[in-house]
Amino acid sequence: MSKAPNMPKSWREETKPHKFCPGCGHGLVLKALGQAIDELGIQDRVVFGCDIGCSLLSFDFFNVDSVQTHHGRTTPVVTGVKRARPDRICIAYMGDGGGYAIGSQHLVNAAARNEKITVILANNCNYGMTGGQMAPTSLPGMKTETTPYGRDPEVTGYPTQGPEMVSAITREGAYVARGTVANVRQLKNYIKKALQNQVEGNGFSFVEALSGCPTNWSTNAKDTWAFIEETMPKYFKVGELKAPAKKEE
Amino acid sequence: MTTSAYKMLQVDTKKAVFTLFTGLCKGCGLCTQKCPVKTLDWSETLGVYGTPAVQPKNADDCTGCGMCAMVCPDCAITIERKK
Repeated sequence: MSKAPNMPKSWREETKPHKFCPGCGHGLVLKALGQAIDELGIQDRVVFGCDIGCSLLSFDFFNVDSVQTHHGRTTPVVTGVKRARPDRICIAYMGDGGGYAIGSQHLVNAAARNEKITVILANNCNYGMTGGQMAPTSLPGMKTETTPYGRDPEVTGYPTQGPEMVSAITREGAYVARGTVANVRQLKNYIKKALQNQVEGNGFSFVEALSGCPTNWSTNAKDTWAFIEETMPKYFKVGELKAPAKKEE
Repeated sequence: MTTSAYKMLQVDTKKAVFTLFTGLCKGCGLCTQKCPVKTLDWSETLGVYGTPAVQPKNADDCTGCGMCAMVCPDCAITIERKK
């Protein structure tokens, strides 16, 4: 008879249950990240940076060195940590608002410079913490707090394709993938490869995770899964976009 | 470690022991939708937010696949397969 919850070892158990809403995708992304850190055995070397927005609620999530930064500025802060201490494994964790809207210039420039850091981005199609406003990733026709009649692409454009953009501007050695919380095992493998890419010092690694926001979507469990599994992948294709070439033995 | 503080809801099913930590379950219901045999349902027991927790409604149906444990964002479910 087991007595202890089966949490990843890198999770900080005394802060659980965590602060995310019931059914939030962040828990699953961070579970995949925790499992990846456990499997690589790098917990003592990880520096975890989280953004503003719902992702900041992960500031005490892991038993690793953590830093919480200004909106979208997680990427440069973590880049600075990596430059000062190249032996650390630096992870920037953010949402789609922080990564694609307010902090997009940092993401673009860090990717263009091919900084040796790992960026993990949870995409839930809206700004969760402020009450579900339209984000760059909101789908056409999607009703949000600021688009009550559905997002009109004529006025507000089409959803940002983050990994496609990052894979276009990065050089060889970068790792870019898009996972989904509907397939935690695949997501864990992507995150593990992204961390491994940083351990080997190849270049920038970026993983976007399609994630759910039942609170602001106003969906029950069934509709949440339907949105994540059926609606979102129509615009956001899941898979690896760029992987470093295998070194010849 | 606060492990022992979590209350447990254990169901002995045919193929596995289903353990739910009510101090972690927020009652989101994601697991009930992912259960391949649709046996996971709302329980009389309450979770950490005072909302219903989950348990297998028919213990014989549970195959112990561990899907519910995998999709739980809070790691509230543990499945121990019987040998």
